[in-house]
Amino acid sequence: MLRGSLYNPSGRQCRLFAINAMATITISRQMGSLGREVAGAVGARLGYRVVWRELINQAALRAGQPEVALAAIDELGLLGLSPATAAVESYNRAVRAVMEELAAGGNVILVGRAGQMILRGRPGVLHVRIVAPERVRAARVARQHGVSLDAALAQVQASDRNRRDYLKRFHHCRWDDPDLYDLIVNTARLTVEAAADIICSAVARGMPCVADSDPGDDTIS
Amino acid sequence: MSNPERRVPAFAHPAEEMFARILDFYGVAWEYEPRTFPLEWDEQGNVTEAFTPDFYLPDQDLYVELTTLRPRLASHKNRRLRRMKELYPDINVKLFKRREMRDLMLKYGLLQEAGRIQGTAAQPPSKDHDPETA
Repeated sequence: MLRGSLYNPSGRQCRLFAINAMATITISRQMGSLGREVAGAVGARLGYRVVWRELINQAALRAGQPEVALAAIDELGLLGLSPATAAVESYNRAVRAVMEELAAGGNVILVGRAGQMILRGRPGVLHVRIVAPERVRAARVARQHGVSLDAALAQVQASDRNRRDYLKRFHHCRWDDPDLYDLIVNTARLTVEAAADIICSAVARGMPCVADSDPGDDTIS
Repeated sequence: MSNPERRVPAFAHPAEEMFARILDFYGVAWEYEPRTFPLEWDEQGNVTEAFTPDFYLPDQDLYVELTTLRPRLASHKNRRLRRMKELYPDINVKLFKRREMRDLMLKYGLLQEAGRIQGTAAQPPSKDHDPETA
C-alpha cells in the first residue's frame, strides 16, 4: 500500500483514494539501463510486486511451450533456439493473459514483455521506459559481467536488436516511440534511487488512475 | 536462479560446462543430470537402458539434452528421445546442438579460452567463424 502522506503533498483525499487504487507500472528498459534495479527500488518503496522472469516462465508453462521461455530469455541468441511459429504465438497469447491477470490484481510492476503495448489504454497503468546512451550501458555491462568493453557493447547491441525486433514483429510498433510511454527516464546521470523517485512521484500524482485513452486528462496533475 | 555457492559438478563434456555458463549468465536455475529415466527392461524387470538428460531447468520444468553433430550418435539420441516421449509424455525434453553456442560466447565475452572448447571429438571447429570474435 502506498503511503499517501509521503507521496501526496497536497493531501487531497480524492487523490489519496486514487493512489490507493490498485495500480500497475510497466517498465520497458534497455540492457544496461538499470531498468530492473529501478523497478526493484520502486517496488520496494511502493510495496508493489516486481514481475520479470516469472512472467516468461508462467506464460510458457501455461502455453505448454517451456522451451519458448528459454528462447525468450536467450536474448543474445547463444542457444540458437528457434521455436515454431505456433509455439511462439501460443506463448504470446499466454503472456497477454498472464499480464492482464497481474494488472487486474494491481500493485504490480511488470518488467519487459511488451507491457506498454499489451496494457496500452488500460486505466490505472503507468508506462515507463528506462534508457541510457549505448556507451554508458556498455560500460555498466562490462563492469557487471567482468567482460571487455567490446564484448559488452556487442551484448548491448544484440539485446537492443532482439527487443526492438520483438516489439516490431509481435506488436507492430517501434520500441523507442515516445508515444508508448507516460514517462521516459534516462539513467545516464541519474542514480537508481533518483530514477525511482521520479517514477514514485508520477504514481503519487495519480497518473495510474487516468485512462491512457482519455483525451481530456492526459497530463500529470 | 543459479546458486553461486553450489559446488560445480564434474561435467562429462566441455559443451555441458558452456551450457551451464550460459544459464548462469542469464540467471536460469539448473540441475545437472538430476534424474534417470528407465527406457527398457529385461524379463526380470531389470533396467537395461536408461536416459539421463544433461540438465533440468526447474523454473521452466524442462529437461535439456546436449547432442552431438555426428549423425550416427544424434540418431541414437533421437531414438531414445522418442522412447522417452512414449513412456513419459508429461516430461519435457529439448535437444540442443552443441556447436551453436561457442562462437557467440566468444563474441559476448562469456568464453575466454577458445582452444579449450574447439576441436573436441564431438564438435569440430566451426567453418563459419565470425572474425569479430577472434
